[in-house]
Amino acid sequence: MVRKIIHLDLDAFFCAVEALRDPSLQGKPFAVGGRPEHRGVIASCSYPARVFGVHSAMPTARALQLCPELIVVPGNHHEYSTYSHRVIAHLHNLTDLIEQISIDEAFIDVSDLRAPAESIAAELQATIMREVRLPSSLGVASNKLVAKIANNVGKKSSRGGIPPMAIKVVQPGGEAAFLAPLPVDELWGVGPKTAAELQALGITTIGDLARLPEADLAARFGKHGHDLVRRARGIDDRPVTSDHEVKSISNETTFAQDIADEAELKRTLCRLAESVGRRLRRAALAGATVRIKLRWSDFTTLTRQVTLPALTDRDDDIYRAAQQLLDDHRPAGKPVRLIGVGVSSLAPPREQLHLWDTTNQKRQRLQLALDEVRDRFGRQAIQRAIEVSRDPSDQEL
Amino acid sequence: MRLSCLQENLSKGLSIAGRAVPSRTTMPILGNVLLATDHGQLKLAATNMELSIVHWVGARVETEGEITVPARNFIDLMNSLPPDQVSLTLDESTLTLSLTCGAVKASFRGIGAEEFPLVPEPDSHAGFTVEAAALNKGLTQVTFAASTDESHPVLTGVLAEFQGQSMTLAAADGFRLSLREIPLVDLVPAPFSVIVPARALAELMRITSGLVDPVRISTTRPHNQILFQMPDTVLNSQLIDGAYPDVRRIIPATSKTRVVIGREEILQACKRAAIFARDVANIVSLRIDAGELTVAADSSESGQGSTRLVASVEGGGLEIAFNVRFLIDVFSALDTPQIALELNSPTNPGVIRAVGDDSFIHVVMPMHLGHR
Repeated sequence: MVRKIIHLDLDAFFCAVEALRDPSLQGKPFAVGGRPEHRGVIASCSYPARVFGVHSAMPTARALQLCPELIVVPGNHHEYSTYSHRVIAHLHNLTDLIEQISIDEAFIDVSDLRAPAESIAAELQATIMREVRLPSSLGVASNKLVAKIANNVGKKSSRGGIPPMAIKVVQPGGEAAFLAPLPVDELWGVGPKTAAELQALGITTIGDLARLPEADLAARFGKHGHDLVRRARGIDDRPVTSDHEVKSISNETTFAQDIADEAELKRTLCRLAESVGRRLRRAALAGATVRIKLRWSDFTTLTRQVTLPALTDRDDDIYRAAQQLLDDHRPAGKPVRLIGVGVSSLAPPREQLHLWDTTNQKRQRLQLALDEVRDRFGRQAIQRAIEVSRDPSDQEL
Repeated sequence: MRLSCLQENLSKGLSIAGRAVPSRTTMPILGNVLLATDHGQLKLAATNMELSIVHWVGARVETEGEITVPARNFIDLMNSLPPDQVSLTLDESTLTLSLTCGAVKASFRGIGAEEFPLVPEPDSHAGFTVEAAALNKGLTQVTFAASTDESHPVLTGVLAEFQGQSMTLAAADGFRLSLREIPLVDLVPAPFSVIVPARALAELMRITSGLVDPVRISTTRPHNQILFQMPDTVLNSQLIDGAYPDVRRIIPATSKTRVVIGREEILQACKRAAIFARDVANIVSLRIDAGELTVAADSSESGQGSTRLVASVEGGGLEIAFNVRFLIDVFSALDTPQIALELNSPTNPGVIRAVGDDSFIHVVMPMHLGHR
């Protein structure tokens, strides 16, 4: 049976949300990102900004060189996740076969719906615009690979300066022909290294790749070679898997300046642990392994982990383990450039109940109460004493 | 002091008494083992001030005397010797103990025996007698449930209640309780209870394993030490001060589901599930349906496995999660062919019994899913 797969991507998602929050940003070159003096990078930039050559992952300082009138606003991730949930909720009105691959991107399998995929896509785009007021682009094809590439192609073909709101459909049977003229690095699994190797073989388009005998490519790239040829011919059997399994949840931050002060490091660690804990609880998961990541001034990076006696999804457990790891593995006074906290060995939260002691249950209730306060009044409404630093500018993360 | 004995006997004796030598100590004398002639035997003694073990070895005593020598070196050398006659001679003026065994000659610089802490001698009339096998079984089935967390000293001990004609041992680390009643030969005149360090009882368990002769148990007044007297060995332990939690209150009175199942079968199923459970805090689930019980573990990282077992099930089906280590501990400690599992709900304590042996009971708390 020919499948009907839609790839949906929200257009400049963070910026679109910011423009809803502050309509004066509408139509202006602006970006969501970190401050240049704090080595910030651009997380998302508006379509007017893109005309200047600004793109995401670019250092903010560089973006300001390209576009001096660029307005840089700080990120508001709580807000983005709220909007993202609203969009996903609309998708669920259609089908449960949804694979969310990031905050602003998802695959939807609409094979079971009677309507043609392109009209479902058009209706979805209109609904999200009307109900959530967010522009989106969609790719439609018989599999995930081609649907995603179709969406990329659709977005690129729109004129600059405004959200593309593209819908690109690849009819079943037309996959290979659609892919053939595209540059080979559009293909999933072809990074700069593979692309350079293929280039050396005279292969620049996906069509070139598809024409190669599979055996030749397998001889050169091994199993990866087989996969490459299949993909180049537009073949992809991967299902849309709704229960995308998370293996670990982590959060890290790069300091504006390298930090040697222990109290400051621990404050940051505490904030990171809280954010990881919160994400665990939202995902209804708990973990048994806590790890920290440290990058020194010379960019050498180390990760150290510890396995806890029991699964946890609580901020205080994660923080305590992370703090111990920091104490054990950071030579006193050594400056830190980047610090991160992660939790793995994930499973649904299960807690060993106690025969008579209910301290754990009390700590659990405390955590739930903290979450509720923060949901209603914001993260800073209630904090640990260790987090309250004298410098108010430190309070952002 | 001059005597001779068999290497085999001395080596075995040291392996018993030597267990009381502390691995680290600020008092050098405690790192030594006492050797003393005693009524035509060689007495070996070691102590860490909390636990003392004295053991007597058959010897041919020529002249009396006593000395302490560094335990670690003396034991290691003894274990390296051939099975032959060992002769020991003490030079009292230099406190040097010389040893010969076949072609081997050695000497040890000792510390005078008068510096060794006094080990209380049992009063042969006081106390109660218990069969060694019954005591050993009780220790095997209870001691493992004691806590190793030093922040709750009371729970690192085993409660021993003496009443009527029995001794009841109970240990609970907060997550599980193991309790067994052991018959005594004599009647206890006035009921009393003491808390014995689990570490001391673990040593007693080793010593009583395979022992045939009865064991005499006595406590010193006012119950601050307990003595276990065996034919060749006396083990003496300090007691733990404090109030033990009311363990009987923990035992559920009724159950909604009762499963009777082969002990060895469920033990093997748990050991298999433990392979996958080790990545996820040792969680296994027990799913009970009509006529069967499934033991399963699921790790999102390494995979999953399950075993379905035929069981006799009374009452409704249920799914409950436990720490598999707790289950393996108790199933391994039991010796009946069948066990009974009595449950009420996924968040209430489970009871494990040995079918046909009413003097044992085990309570284990489940793991609770989520809190939302």
